[in-house]
Order: sequence, then C-alpha cells, then structure tokens
Amino acid sequence: MAEILTSKKLVIKIILCLAVLAVVMGLCALKGTQKISLAKVFQGPGERPGETIDYEIFIIRLRRVILAALVGAALACSGVVLQAILRNPLADPYILGISSGAGLGVIIAILSGISWSFWGGSPMAVFAFAGSLLTVWLVWYIGRFTGKSQMTGLLLAGVVVNAFFSAVIMFLTSIANSRQLRATIFWLMGNITEKDWAALGVSGGCILAGIIALFTICHRLNVLSFGEDEAKKLGVNTERTKVLAFGFAAFITAIAVSLSGLIGFVGLIIPHGVRLVFGPDHRQLLPLSAITGSAFLVVADTVARTVFGQEQLPVGVITAIAGGPFFLVLLARYSRKVSWLK
Amino acid sequence: MSGIIEVKNLSFGYTPQSRILKDLSFEVKSSSFVGIAGPNGAGKTTLLNLLCGLLSPEAGSIRIDAADIETYGIKELAQRVAVVRQEFVPVFDFTVEETVMMARTPYLGVFGFEGKTDREIVTEAIEATDTADFATRPLGSLSGGERQRVFIARALAQDTDILLLDEPTSHLDFKHQVGIYDLLKATQLEKGKTIVTVTHDINLAAQYCDKTLLLGADNNYYYGSVKDVFSSEQIKKVFGVSVFVGKVGKENFFIPLGKFAKDSGQISRKPDSNGQK
Repeated sequence: MAEILTSKKLVIKIILCLAVLAVVMGLCALKGTQKISLAKVFQGPGERPGETIDYEIFIIRLRRVILAALVGAALACSGVVLQAILRNPLADPYILGISSGAGLGVIIAILSGISWSFWGGSPMAVFAFAGSLLTVWLVWYIGRFTGKSQMTGLLLAGVVVNAFFSAVIMFLTSIANSRQLRATIFWLMGNITEKDWAALGVSGGCILAGIIALFTICHRLNVLSFGEDEAKKLGVNTERTKVLAFGFAAFITAIAVSLSGLIGFVGLIIPHGVRLVFGPDHRQLLPLSAITGSAFLVVADTVARTVFGQEQLPVGVITAIAGGPFFLVLLARYSRKVSWLK
Repeated sequence: MSGIIEVKNLSFGYTPQSRILKDLSFEVKSSSFVGIAGPNGAGKTTLLNLLCGLLSPEAGSIRIDAADIETYGIKELAQRVAVVRQEFVPVFDFTVEETVMMARTPYLGVFGFEGKTDREIVTEAIEATDTADFATRPLGSLSGGERQRVFIARALAQDTDILLLDEPTSHLDFKHQVGIYDLLKATQLEKGKTIVTVTHDINLAAQYCDKTLLLGADNNYYYGSVKDVFSSEQIKKVFGVSVFVGKVGKENFFIPLGKFAKDSGQISRKPDSNGQK
C-alpha cells in the first residue's frame, strides 16, 4: 500500500512543487535584457522615482511572469480534464474549437478596429473570450445531437468547427492589411505581454477558482476514464461530471487564450509528462500539472523575451520548439515502471 | 420470504418494435448464487444492466432491498450493487491498487480522498482475490485472468450486498475459471453476498449456482433450481442444439453436439437421471 496516494502525501508534494515554482518565477523575473541585481531589488521602492530602477524593472517583469504562470496553469489543467472526459490522450485544450473561435473573435476585433476596453481587457481579449466560449457552446450543442457515443460526436464536432473557423480566419487574414496582419499573427502564435495588476487579479482569481472547482471532480475523472457505464456503476453522476469538467475547462482556457493568444503544446505535453512520471491519478495529476505548466511557460516566456536581445519572439514558438523534443525524451525515458517519484 | 432482488413483469426493448425481455419475473434470495444462461442476444447482459440501474425498465419493476430501483440515487445504488463486466482496459495506466481503490468512490467526500478504513477494505479485497503480488503493476500489463480478479477485487471493495458479474470466466483457462468460481462461492458463503452471474458455461453454473435463470431468445425463460432448469429438452429448446447429458455426481453435465461432431450419434443415449425422460 506504499504507493497509494493520500491527501497528506499530496499536500506535501504540492507544497514542494509550489516552492520550486516560486524560485523559478523569481529567477525568471531577475533575468532579462536589462541586468538587475537582487540586492537592489530587495531595497524596495525608493522615495524618488528613477532611483531604484532595478526594483521597478523587477516588478514589471514579475507581472509578466505571473501572467505566464497563470496561463500555463490554466492550459495544463484544461488539457488534463479534456483528456480525461474524452478518454483520448491526444486531446488538448484547443481540440473542441476554443482556439479557432477565439482566433475568429480576435480577427474580427482587429479588422473592425474596435478600441474600447472592458474590465481592463483589451478588445482583442474580450472578443477572444467571447469567441471561444461561443464556439465551445456550439461544439457541445452539435455534439449532443449525435446521441449514444456522445464523446466521439463531440470530438468530431470540435474538429469540424475548428477546420471551418480556421478557413474563415485564413480568408480574413488574406484580406487584411499588413499592420493588422502582424498583430493577428502574433496573437495566433501566442504572445505574452505585461498586463496591469487589475487584469492579473481578475483573471488569476477566475483561473484559480476554476482549477479548484476542477479539483473537486478529480476522483470522478479517475473512474470516468474507465468508461461512462463503469463510472455510473461506481456511483458517479456522469452527466453532471462531464458538464462541470467541460464547462470549467472551457472557462479557464478561454481566459488563458484571451490573455495570451494561442499557445500550443502546453496543454498537450504537460499532462502527458506529469502522468508519465507521477501516474494517472487525476487528484495528483491536476495540481501537479498546473504547477508544472506554470513553470514551463514561465521559463519558455523568459527565453522568448531574452534570447534575441530586444527583439521578442512569440512564446508559442518556444513552447513548440522546446516542448516537442523534450516530450519525446520523456516518452522514451519513462515507461510506467518508473516509480521513484511516487 | 421475499428476495433481495425482486423482478416483476419486467419488459425492456432497445427499439419499440422488438422486446428483448418480456414479462420476466423472478426473485433472488439474499446470500444466494444465481447463474443467468441463454443464447447470444437473449438479453442476459441487458438484464444485468437493468439490475444495476444502467437501463430503466420499460414496464414492470425491479426491487432491490424491498425498494424500487428507480428510487435509489446513483451513489446509493452503487453502495448496494457492484458490477464486474467483461474484461477491458482503461485509457490511462492505472495500477491494480489504484483501480481497486476506485471502488470506494461512492463513499468519498467532496475532495475524494480515501481514509484509513477505505484502505483497509481495499487491502482485504486484494488479499481475498490473490492479487497482492501484482498490486503495483499497471492494469494493462496483466493477463486476462489476473485482470478479471482485479475487477472482482474492486467489486468486493465496493462493499455491497449484491455482486453482478457478466461472463467472469470468458477467455479464461480451466484453472482460472475454477479459481474465479471458487472465489465467488467463498464470498457467498463467508460474507453472505448475493451473487448473480451471467455465464455461457452451463457446466460451471450447474456446479456452483443455487438457482439458474435460462433466458430464451423468444422471450421465454425458465427459473428455478439447477436440476429443473438445465434439462436436455429445455437446453435444446433454448439454444437450438442437441446436447449430450452426462452425470458427474450430484450434477449433470452437458456437451453440445452438432451435426458433424464425432459423437453426434451419442445424443440419443441419455443417462437416466431425474429431470428428464
């Protein structure tokens, strides 16, 4: 019985991982094209502006680091949950049309030149959020029609809606002018920028609440991965679990997408990587994926903003380039036998 | 005395035109062992799914513990009825221990963590089913017989009065077939569980069951003691094949013989035994 997960073991693991994440975030905030020293950061804000430039730079970077951490956590959790309810290890947060819906929203926002803002969110963010939620609702609605093998229907609906909206996006980009095009493409590749504290607070609160809500259904997701009939026989209300899982996963993904555009790979490889090392128990998989996803995206974003000096890369490029090979190494290195971390 | 499972005038069909089960009535006594046999498509698995609440009856009623099955919530029912279905492997590589632990799901609180009692029950179930040797291995790496025992362990850990099984011995060799039935019989006798199992193996059913239900494809059925139900006439009628009937000691055995079987001429040579003329 040594390997069975208990709440105590899980809390210890989560605290350890959070400590590591905090260190990673701190280090990444110190790193940048403008060198700053830790000692000066600790002096805090000075009385006269400009005197403690190191501290100010640190805070600005910290905002960006926190944003990356939030987005990473949301995408990884969403990936975990969607892989579980679709019982498909290839599922990722974007599989049900969230990406294309958000993309369409953004393009419409850019092309129509809307410039108002809403709750600290730019028009792009608001349109992305609305677009992704509407698309998810559409996919879910279509998927319901297919009846019995509902999850297959849902997947198919997602794929088809994705393809259709992608075509519309391509059409719109081809008629857009070049300045609009650059903004669109950067967004589509996934791009993290500094946000103000208000936006961070609201979206961070929403994402954390979503993750906690998802955590409460994790033991049901375990049973659900044995199939719906099996889950019902073990006393799980599968309908409610699926709706909750799907709803919250879509919600946190939509927030992440509206903050940072389409960052690929995090939602696919982080759940897989964590599962390979720690096993498939979702009660552990979800929180540890959240933390690992945060750390991964924070590091990836740090690379994106430092590797070419002043010229910043879209972070989505880094996650794909680094994530792919890293994942293959992980896959080759661990078969399920590994148990030294359990 | 009324049974722990009471089925009255049960009818069910997947389409309105054809009823797979019609006017079925029987009672299962507490702590008894009942086998359900019949040809493919007779509705054995459907009946099992009705008994565990996955399907709802079209007409008639199913009562569990003297209360209609429809009045139970999903969780409540899972605390009374456990199901072992035909073997299969989940998408993710859960270990044996983790799989058995999931039996405790209907008893868990908001965050879904097992307590000390839950772990003790699981350990006990793992020991009872002889699965401790591979408890830390992933489910996918086990053989069919081992996996079947794991799912029985899970059903035991679910701590229910009623255990439903769907062909627990299909694809298993002699040793494992007997092993599973011995295990089920032991649970019945020692823990007083009620066991209802669907089976294609009439001979094993005859050896282990207290009562049998023989479902025919055309909505006829026979329910009663093994001797009354498994007669060569009824088996021939229900399955549409001729069988050779022999006798071991207490119970008969049956060998199906087709037209070109080597011993097809032997069918007429019936041993004298009660239950047939």
